[in-house]
Amino acid sequence: MSEPSPIVLVVDDEIQIRRFLRTGFELNGFVVHEAGTGAEAIRAATLRPIDLVIVDLGLPDMDGSEVVERIRSWSTVPIIVLSVRSTEAQKVRLLEIGADDYVVKPFGIAELLARVRVALRRQSRAASGEPTVTVGPLTIDLAARAVMLNGSRMTLTPKEYRLLQVLAQHAGNVVTHQHLLKEVWGSIHMQDTHYLRIFVRKLRQKIEPHPDSPKILITELGVGYRLAQSGTEIEPGVLSVPAPTSAKAEI
Amino acid sequence: MPDAPPNALNLERLRNELRGILMTIFLVAIVTLVIFTIIWTTGRTRGTVIYIIPVVIAATRWGIGSALFAAICGVLTSAFFFFPPFYSFRIRDPQEVINLLLFIFVAIVVSQLATRLKRELELARQREINMRDLYAFSRRLAAAFDAAEIQAAVEDHLSTIMQRRVVLFPNVQTTKPQNRRHNGSAVPERVFAQIIEFATAQRTGEVTATGDNGEIWLVRPVSREGGEMHVIAIELGLGSLETVNEMRARIDSALADATATLERLGVAHAINEATMRSQTDRLREALIGSVSHELRTPLASILGAATVLSSAPALQDQTDLQALVRDVRGEAERLNGDIQNLLDATRISSDGIKPRIEWADPNDIVDSALERCGTRLNAHTLIRNMPSDLPLIHVDPVLVRQALVQIFDNAAKYSPPGSRITVAARARDGRMILSVSDEGAGLTVNEEQQIWERFARGERHAATTSGSGLGLWIANAFVAANGGKMNAVSDGPGTGTTMTIEIPVMQAAVPQLESDADE
Repeated sequence: MSEPSPIVLVVDDEIQIRRFLRTGFELNGFVVHEAGTGAEAIRAATLRPIDLVIVDLGLPDMDGSEVVERIRSWSTVPIIVLSVRSTEAQKVRLLEIGADDYVVKPFGIAELLARVRVALRRQSRAASGEPTVTVGPLTIDLAARAVMLNGSRMTLTPKEYRLLQVLAQHAGNVVTHQHLLKEVWGSIHMQDTHYLRIFVRKLRQKIEPHPDSPKILITELGVGYRLAQSGTEIEPGVLSVPAPTSAKAEI
Repeated sequence: MPDAPPNALNLERLRNELRGILMTIFLVAIVTLVIFTIIWTTGRTRGTVIYIIPVVIAATRWGIGSALFAAICGVLTSAFFFFPPFYSFRIRDPQEVINLLLFIFVAIVVSQLATRLKRELELARQREINMRDLYAFSRRLAAAFDAAEIQAAVEDHLSTIMQRRVVLFPNVQTTKPQNRRHNGSAVPERVFAQIIEFATAQRTGEVTATGDNGEIWLVRPVSREGGEMHVIAIELGLGSLETVNEMRARIDSALADATATLERLGVAHAINEATMRSQTDRLREALIGSVSHELRTPLASILGAATVLSSAPALQDQTDLQALVRDVRGEAERLNGDIQNLLDATRISSDGIKPRIEWADPNDIVDSALERCGTRLNAHTLIRNMPSDLPLIHVDPVLVRQALVQIFDNAAKYSPPGSRITVAARARDGRMILSVSDEGAGLTVNEEQQIWERFARGERHAATTSGSGLGLWIANAFVAANGGKMNAVSDGPGTGTTMTIEIPVMQAAVPQLESDADE
């Protein structure tokens, strides 16, 4: 990042977590502010310019989700939630109240950094009004409503395009099933996940180099889908197991 | 209601008798007409034995009174119409006397038989109702989850038996004034004062108290034998003291029966157990919460710090230090996996798996499982044999994924590096079968049985591999929670193992795929 260093607010009551996050972020060119309680976090977020908030769910004075809701009430700053125990239902709820992403503890710093960069890029794209999202061979031009695969324009049905459009607007972030169903089919179909499954399958046939092991339209099991972050290298024709930076687990 | 006033009861019976007699006269008249018809058409004169029919009918229907009346009517009518001298009641023929005696005998015997039959039928029906009540009661007891539910069941049971409103106060040592209201049924204050006296052992036996509207309540221990002290209050309604005294005896015997039943069904034990169960549940919840927080939080610091260290520029050219950091990270990840398994196991033991069922793509589940396995499968060659047109399955995809992760983990652990692990799926006969095959240690016949048990560890591998022995047990429970089952097949030691997950496939309500008109 050649621009001025992004500022991250880390909200966690465990000093050890704050310490390694500070070191990790500073090594990667971020400026770090810390807060140990929810009230401190809200105060810090109002007083200082902040580019991104990382908030733990278990805070001594209030639930982390409350911090998300409060900050969200006046600010569009990207928020990433850390949590030690979270079910898929909790994740869905967090995303619905305005968190941009979640990471389950324990996690590796690389995984968190990747999520942070996605959130920042999305924010800057929204600010600059940049209309195109590129993921590997796929380019989605939101202004021209056009989808290009390897440089040639492809034809999608209106619903397929709408699905891709919603995902592209949140490129890199998870979009919940309910949100997608509501945006594409309308709110009466919010429980009909099988619509989504069938459409995603069709869409993958068209856009993925290997529809059976998708790298562009990624499933977040039990939560939703995410479009891989822009700029991701998608190697054509390699069948390999993706190797994430750390094992995730949830209760 | 058993206490209709005596007058009403007699009146009712009188009316029944009267109806029987009227019907008898009607029957005798018909029979007389029939006999006349027979005599006129066939010329035979001896048809009077047909009068036995009204006798039998009256005996079975309306009792002995009507039956005797029918007998006498029959004899008189036959004497009047069919025996000389005609149109007089005088009898010359000894045949008539025999007829009369025969009719009376039949009347008595048949009506006795009919009465007994009716009584037995009534008894059988009552017994059946009792049995059904008791059965419903015991089923409710078995399904009752906590002490309050059991108490409500006992109250309802006693109410049914005694046909009165009954309020039960179990375990009166713990009865406090704020417990006065429960299950929505309030006891008047004066009655409750009596209950407290029983509770504090200031009183034994039984006592009556008058409620707010002048209704009488009887307060007494459920059982006179002592033991588990339960006190009940029975609302006797408005009435004089005599009726109350009359009812006491009935209540006493009803309660004696009921306590025997309650004892047989182990109600006291059930109440204790339910109380204990809810305490255990709370304890387990607290334990899970604190384990995941107290163990996971430091682990998060260890793992996070290790990942920061491994990317630190200062360590980039220190290969031995890098290796140490990798060890810290790897071991922390393993510990995390073990904690997860323990938590999963606790959750399964408490029947706490609540699947979040949705339509899922089997390909997505396999993808996600492989992603979760991460570096653990890096040493193996993975072969995917998944058709792209698999049907959707209606499951909790997260649970199925966790089961698959355990299977992959097992395959990687018990097969040599470089060997192949094949994941395949096929849909057949309304079932989806996901299978994972390795080229590793295989299973002996014994092991094929044992691997599903909790803490099962193969003896052949105990020294060389680590593990808690929980993995497959958890996988099996997760698959079962989705209505599926697991299976393990091996041709023997050293020949590899194939693990399968079998899940029923339901037909998804396929949406009309695209209405391109909108947009």
